[in-house]
Amino acid sequence: MRITKWLPPAFLLAVLLLVLGEMGARLFFAKSVSGRFEYGYSLNAGFDECPDGTVKLIRAGGRRFHPQSFKKHRPPGTFRVFVIGDSVPRGPSFKGGYPWLLGQELRERDIQAESVNMALPGYGAQRCQVVLRKALEFEPSLIILHVNDSNKYEDEREYRRSQEFKSWHPRNWPMKVFIFRRLYEAKMEKVFWRLVPEQVRLKFAVNDPDAQVAASENASEVRDRIKVARETTAASVALAQAHHVPLLLVTQCRLLTDGTRSFHFEDHGLDDLGRSLTGQGVYHLSMKEVFSPLPHARSYFSDSGHLKRSGHLLLAQAIIGKIRQAHQHLGLTAFNIELQSKSY
Amino acid sequence: MSFITWQYLLFLPLVLVLYWQLPGRGRLVLLLVASYFFYACWDVRFLALVLATTIIDYLCALSIDGKKTGTVWVLLLALLPGVWLSGCSLFLPASGINWLIVAAAVAMGLAFFTGHELIWRLAPEKRRRAYLILSICFCLSILGFFKYFGFFLDSAHNLLTFMGLQPNRVLLQIILPVGISFYTFQSLGYVIDVYRGQSPACASLLTFATYDAFFPQMVSGPIERGRHLIPQLERTQVFSPDYLQDGICLILVGFFKKVFVADNCAILANYAFAPGTPLNGYWAVLGVMAFAFQIYGDFSGYTDIARGSAKLLGIDLAENFRFPYFSRNPSEFWGRWHISLSTWFRDYLYIPLGGNRGAKWETIRNLGVTMLLAGLWHGANWVFVLWGAYHGVLLILYRVAPALRFLGDEKSSSLGRGILAVALMWILTLAGWAIFRSANVHQLGLWLAALGHWQAGISLPWASSALWLLIHIAPLLLLQILTWKYRDETSLGHLPWPARGLIYTLMLLLIVSSTEHDTEFIYFQF
Repeated sequence: MRITKWLPPAFLLAVLLLVLGEMGARLFFAKSVSGRFEYGYSLNAGFDECPDGTVKLIRAGGRRFHPQSFKKHRPPGTFRVFVIGDSVPRGPSFKGGYPWLLGQELRERDIQAESVNMALPGYGAQRCQVVLRKALEFEPSLIILHVNDSNKYEDEREYRRSQEFKSWHPRNWPMKVFIFRRLYEAKMEKVFWRLVPEQVRLKFAVNDPDAQVAASENASEVRDRIKVARETTAASVALAQAHHVPLLLVTQCRLLTDGTRSFHFEDHGLDDLGRSLTGQGVYHLSMKEVFSPLPHARSYFSDSGHLKRSGHLLLAQAIIGKIRQAHQHLGLTAFNIELQSKSY
Repeated sequence: MSFITWQYLLFLPLVLVLYWQLPGRGRLVLLLVASYFFYACWDVRFLALVLATTIIDYLCALSIDGKKTGTVWVLLLALLPGVWLSGCSLFLPASGINWLIVAAAVAMGLAFFTGHELIWRLAPEKRRRAYLILSICFCLSILGFFKYFGFFLDSAHNLLTFMGLQPNRVLLQIILPVGISFYTFQSLGYVIDVYRGQSPACASLLTFATYDAFFPQMVSGPIERGRHLIPQLERTQVFSPDYLQDGICLILVGFFKKVFVADNCAILANYAFAPGTPLNGYWAVLGVMAFAFQIYGDFSGYTDIARGSAKLLGIDLAENFRFPYFSRNPSEFWGRWHISLSTWFRDYLYIPLGGNRGAKWETIRNLGVTMLLAGLWHGANWVFVLWGAYHGVLLILYRVAPALRFLGDEKSSSLGRGILAVALMWILTLAGWAIFRSANVHQLGLWLAALGHWQAGISLPWASSALWLLIHIAPLLLLQILTWKYRDETSLGHLPWPARGLIYTLMLLLIVSSTEHDTEFIYFQF
């Protein structure tokens, strides 16, 4: 009687429902939420390792992988390529990105290849390294690390968030309840992102894009980014070498225009970085070198950094060229003659 | 400190625990300290303004009531805001208080002291009136300077420039203190009530200061009347579990309205009314509808949290919203929207001007003046004046046009006519919100022009965004339907407990699904 005076049945029911919901969420949604609040610094987020030995890449834990699957242990005779990077290698669509096109090109050359797109939008060198660490567990034949310098701001911001979330701070308390997290994510990813146009969302979340733009234009920020990208990429190379996994560094370039028809490419020193890191099992491909000789290079770009599908195809073929050069080191005993360019 | 911060969620339980442990006067001391702390979290300097308003109105009300306060005591109190600012200057150098500001505060205190002492020498009836005028002049001067001085200076500059003159521009960076319109009006209302004999002067400075700065309602209302709140503060409350239940329920509904409804509708409204946004008719309508629910959810949500917080302390605050979007005419709308402000203007401006007792043109004049000032109360911007004028015109039209008066008749039992009247009033209210939300007259013009363009290519696709809006207003409408019969937006007590339990759970889940962005309450700027 006294308890119901203080806690009436309606409140008790609400608490009971929340407790049940929490238990249900922990049972049924544990996979998709795991790592979400490590903001990309979780080793396992998005990698769903099934009991039958299949690894599924899922959109979970803040990692919006293109859904794909592969066997945990590389099937004999398979040339397995993992592409790690940001929104550039992720592509305008799954089949429009160079990782998928690369797989197609390799299979066209009778190579039993699987090319897995592990690129994630907004991922800089630090978070790419976390993905690389996980990818090394799955016996890759080659890892393509797309090196860019434009996401350091996001890397830092997400790192800060991940640390904040681990803290005792009361503002994070509600989201430590599993059911709340799940609901919040479901709303953000399935309702907010789908229903509200991107332009509206960007205008609403005015702070982050503003800071991003400011950071991308500030000269000292650019220098700082290159320094961090250089150090982190060097560490990633060392990591791959320690696992005896060949690594191809694809260095990003930026298309700069002056408002007229003229344009040029800028690599922010990433090409020098790529060249300096080549060595035992480490190869380098410069996007600038691929695109700058082309008379209509501009037509391959959808903006200053992102490629159209035709640009991805061109890049995939350039990677094929690199693979062909190094095919013996990569364990490819035969490599068919070069095919004519074509579109899929 | 805002209600929707984690700080408040720690602050409130702490105050509650201490409050119910302390004896009578101790509770008032706690409430006053907590209220000043709550306000100082925004800006410690502006506590001087709260102190000044409190002291002026406390002393004037006592004098109006014929109670003489000792000269030394008046002098000390009058200098208190200056002392506070001196303290800020000495101990908080970053506050930017210099000795010029301190000197101005001291001079103001001395001017008040001199006026106060001189007026006491007048004959009793003249004296009462003079103290009322003294209070009104000082309080409105503070409000006028901090809220409207820059606005009128800018407007005068623009006007002179428009006339071909080249005036020197005087730039004053005046920060608008949070909640200044609310506590100034609340304090003024109290003094006028004392003058009219509708309320006794509060003898205790502690009680009056707590009334003036009571943290749940200080910065965004409801604007409380002294005769309603002061007796509750003076009464020694005995804790009841009902306070806990009712308070938590109100706070939950308030958070639901603010975090789930208002903040999500704000995404669309902010986009539609952002400078440079290409608008077509669909987005113009969508944007203003989103804003209508944003401002309603935001402000009524704030009020519910304020009422809930006060309820946890055993104190009832006035109801401020009662289904405003179901009004059939503008008069009913103002009886349901921001009730404490509209009744303030009714009691202290409209009725003293003559109300509707005189000739028709006098009623029209009184309505016009009242609504213009009510518009200006909302902010130092011509769009607010225009918004007030627009509502004034609506009130007048519904009085003079027989067809509108017939349609908006509240006593009519015809369902069809009722629906038509509510629909028309809703459209008229939306047009008013378009004025209110526009940053300036130019943007309002763009919004109106967009209503003439319904081609899809001009703006973003609108259908999915409309669905987003619907998702966020449907639960609110459902809540309103459930509570409509009981004439209280938050009254869920009549529902069976399992239904209430489900509603509480659902509301909590909807709140936590929307915690991405911290957005401030709209009415803080007023």
